[in-house]
Amino acid sequence: MGSGPFPGLRFSPSQSPIWDRFKMKPISLHGHDRAITCIRYNREGDLLFSSAKDHLPNVWYAINGERLGTFGGKNDRDRNSHSGAVWCLDVDWETKNFLSGAADNSVRLWDVCTGKMLNCIETKSAVRTCGFSFSGNLAAFTSDKQMGHPCIINVMDVRDFQADKPVMQVVIPDKGPKVTSLVWSGIEEQIITGHDNGDLAQWDVKSSQKTNIVSDHSKTVTDIQMSKDNSMFISSSKDTTAKLFDTDTLECMKTYKTERPVNSASIAPKFDHVVLGGGQEAMDVTTTSTRIGKFDARFFHLVFEEEFARVKGHFGPINSVQFNPEGTGYASGGEDGYVRLHTFDPTYFSFQFEC
Amino acid sequence: MSRHMSENDYEDDPEGRDPRDEVDDEEEDEDYEEEPDFSDDPDFVDEIDDAALMGDILARRPKESDGVDSVVVVDGTPVVGPDRLDKLKKIVSKVFGQVGDIVNEHHPVEANGTSKGYVFLEYANHATALEAVRSLNNYRLDKQHKFTVNLFSDFDKYMSIPDEWEPPKEEAYKDQGNLKSWLLNTDAYDQFSIIYEGGEKVAIHQNAKPDPVQLELRPRWTETYLKWSPSGTFLVTLHSPGIAIWGGQDFRKLQRLSHPGVQYVDFSPCERYVVTFAPQAPISDEPTAVIFWEARSGLKKRAFNADGPPVWPLFKWSHDDKYFARMTDESTLSIYETPSFGMLDKKSIKVAGMQDFSWAPTENILAYWVAEDKDVPARVTLIEIPSRNEVRVKNLFNVADCKMHWQKSGDYLCVKVDRYSKLRRERDDGPKYAGLYYNFEIFHMREKQIPVDSVEIKENVQAFAWEPIGHKFAIIHGEGQSLNVSFYGVKTGHTPALLKKYERKTANCLFWSPCGQFIILAGLRNMSGVLEFVDTSDFTTMNTGEHFMCTDVEWDPTGRYVMTGVSWWGHKVDNAYWLWSFQGKILKRCQLDKFCQFLWRPRPPTLLTKKDVKEIKKNFKKYTVDFEAQDMMRSSKASKELIDKRRAKYDEYKAYRAKKLEQFQAYRDMRIQLRNGMDTDTLEVKNAVMEEEVVEFLVKEEVTIVD
Repeated sequence: MGSGPFPGLRFSPSQSPIWDRFKMKPISLHGHDRAITCIRYNREGDLLFSSAKDHLPNVWYAINGERLGTFGGKNDRDRNSHSGAVWCLDVDWETKNFLSGAADNSVRLWDVCTGKMLNCIETKSAVRTCGFSFSGNLAAFTSDKQMGHPCIINVMDVRDFQADKPVMQVVIPDKGPKVTSLVWSGIEEQIITGHDNGDLAQWDVKSSQKTNIVSDHSKTVTDIQMSKDNSMFISSSKDTTAKLFDTDTLECMKTYKTERPVNSASIAPKFDHVVLGGGQEAMDVTTTSTRIGKFDARFFHLVFEEEFARVKGHFGPINSVQFNPEGTGYASGGEDGYVRLHTFDPTYFSFQFEC
Repeated sequence: MSRHMSENDYEDDPEGRDPRDEVDDEEEDEDYEEEPDFSDDPDFVDEIDDAALMGDILARRPKESDGVDSVVVVDGTPVVGPDRLDKLKKIVSKVFGQVGDIVNEHHPVEANGTSKGYVFLEYANHATALEAVRSLNNYRLDKQHKFTVNLFSDFDKYMSIPDEWEPPKEEAYKDQGNLKSWLLNTDAYDQFSIIYEGGEKVAIHQNAKPDPVQLELRPRWTETYLKWSPSGTFLVTLHSPGIAIWGGQDFRKLQRLSHPGVQYVDFSPCERYVVTFAPQAPISDEPTAVIFWEARSGLKKRAFNADGPPVWPLFKWSHDDKYFARMTDESTLSIYETPSFGMLDKKSIKVAGMQDFSWAPTENILAYWVAEDKDVPARVTLIEIPSRNEVRVKNLFNVADCKMHWQKSGDYLCVKVDRYSKLRRERDDGPKYAGLYYNFEIFHMREKQIPVDSVEIKENVQAFAWEPIGHKFAIIHGEGQSLNVSFYGVKTGHTPALLKKYERKTANCLFWSPCGQFIILAGLRNMSGVLEFVDTSDFTTMNTGEHFMCTDVEWDPTGRYVMTGVSWWGHKVDNAYWLWSFQGKILKRCQLDKFCQFLWRPRPPTLLTKKDVKEIKKNFKKYTVDFEAQDMMRSSKASKELIDKRRAKYDEYKAYRAKKLEQFQAYRDMRIQLRNGMDTDTLEVKNAVMEEEVVEFLVKEEVTIVD
């Protein structure tokens, strides 16, 4: 990260709330020159992290969309930088450590304050998913089934981040479905993985055992995001639906249906809403019209499973969406290479379902 | 005699004994040791039956019918002496060998060696034997001798026919119930059928308010598509062995008509007859391609061959089911009458160069047109049936093509004439036309002498449509993307007048409301589904809409609603049907996986007289109040139901959340411990407000001197 830690960002109780400053108008962040793969807010919601198929993850001020910095150098041959598409990222609860996994067969741990790489683990194949545990002391990542190498789920101790010291390691058998999304659940003891055949599996980290598996989705699970209190999660899938599950039992509680593959879904922290992002896959788009692709972010009521709003903007499928932790806006990253920061207008807050 | 005979020994057997006779001889053979006793105990009960043990072998066991069914008897062979018997045998096997291999033949002879005048022949299978009967019966060998060929098994059949004729038993009358029950719906809801999931599911819905209600859902009800009869009484499903006709309150099966390979179905306008068409059927003496049935009884009335390319409908019906006609060989028009199904006056109409014909929709008048031939002009002729009197002939010049369009009420006939200004004859490709322009010849059917008016359009014509009830027609004309829509009005004693011309419209299809007045200008296919709803009484655009990639537009029979659909048959993504009001207000969007076909159930014409209709229109305001009150009640009931449903869902969710919250609280200490003693549950940014600090750097200084 180029320019030192956090210039110009401070909390002060006296001024108007931050979200009131930017009404409705989305901020378009153009810091990547290829398709966005993942976006995540930190716990406070003041920073937004983004990764793309280009090799440099970015971090932004969520307040005004200014770029705070970049993880990695300009040069691909720089050992302290990714040299392949970055598929996944995560940031711990303190916004201290940042984790990114990429197609260059590495997962890297960074210091958010300085933007310096702390450590790097080389894998045999591309790293598809990664995530910090509740305490931020453990980090999980999975590698792809690729070039004869199996898909492996790894859990590392962040304080001793070395390839040969995994806390847990599970190798998915050759014929088994590869992991396409991952999230920590419970308190430090469980991982939930989504697979390319639509399965969702629950793993116990201490015993390295699979404790539950369900197959509610019929196609690849593209993303899993937790609710604020980790008691529920939403999974999105290529089967054109997103589903709400109970974290403990993996019981499917709600289904949100669309007509296009869903690439990402997020649960609103404030209201009973969810947002879904997706759209016709780029390679399947037969016409150049954005209408047919349906690249809108779509809002559903969490309980009633009814769609109540759509937000246009991207001109390619949305690959990642997340509500900001305040629930006053959301961010979306698309195949078109843009990250869009949306702030809800007052009608969003006054809108109510009759019941 | 040795039992070790070779195969050849049998053939040379001078006595011609059947080799099977030799079985007896075996017992004399005592060369072998005594055989062990293989037979079962008398008490033994076999647990496995033969079928289980060697089912495959038993399946191939010769059946009695195998032999008998493939034997034919030939009568009328010449009676010859023993000296010429061999020659006869040769001739017979030569003649009958054409059909297939003869397995066995038998020439019975008298004691003195002369042949008896008949022969038995066995073929390899039943089919060949049948073919021999079909093709060689009545075969003329010479002047005196004619073969009569019959199946051996037929003798039995004909012998067993009793001499006394017994009248067939009268079948009990089957009450089909009320076939028009759907018309009794007090709210006049229309029904429609949909096929979806790529043909896996067929459903019938009622277009109720506020949401359509499903009445029937049957998996794989049809193998291809559905068809309603013209007044909506019957529903036809197509299957490879034939068609099924359904109707009544619960869509019971009323008829099953067997017609293998059937692909097209048509009803006569009054629903008395059904026509089925199997285009793959071979041409034969017993035609199977086109079959006419009586709809009510399911009786086969007549069958026809279909030669030439499969066009449908092959036969065109007159409005009252009395006549149907088809054109063959470009110049012969054959008209048949019902219920005899014989040709009208036993002769067809021959007009050299006849191109196409069509029936008037409300009277028994038939129009046909004849192409230009050297110096003889092309002409359109209207004839009355059955008298065959010509009621109007119109000569036309420089004609490339004609299309006849009848107005639905039968008041007008419009003949669209493609005319050319230059003609070039090329040897191979036929004539080439250049400088095409278009004439619309309007025949006023209701006036004396049937006067004809003409409208000329210089541009390429994309579409033409009559207002079904009324006096207007619409034309889309123009080139490429800049298309114009023109509306003309027709009046007694006047040439058609241009009422309105819209320039540069995105429209390539016209859909009139079945009641007239309202029209949808639709841009389908490459125009991606743009819709414009126009009221032609004052030419206001009531609304515009778009159903992206829409393939079908269908008005309901009452002209109140319109369906637009994206059929899976035409477009593979976003298959859905949408319902609109006639004013272009979207009412419902139904996304259905692999939605294929949507058909409104037609209605019979109204029984109200013109006076009644006028009366109703006059008191329209009075009815509106009632209807609106009903609609209000319905929608409030529906929204109440919805709210109740939501409330139930929400209560359930609330209970679940309460439980989860309790669980969450229980782990509070653990969370605090894991995050270095910090309580992140309550640490919220809610009250924290950021301050933006602007830092300015002096990057570059530039001094411009202004004097």
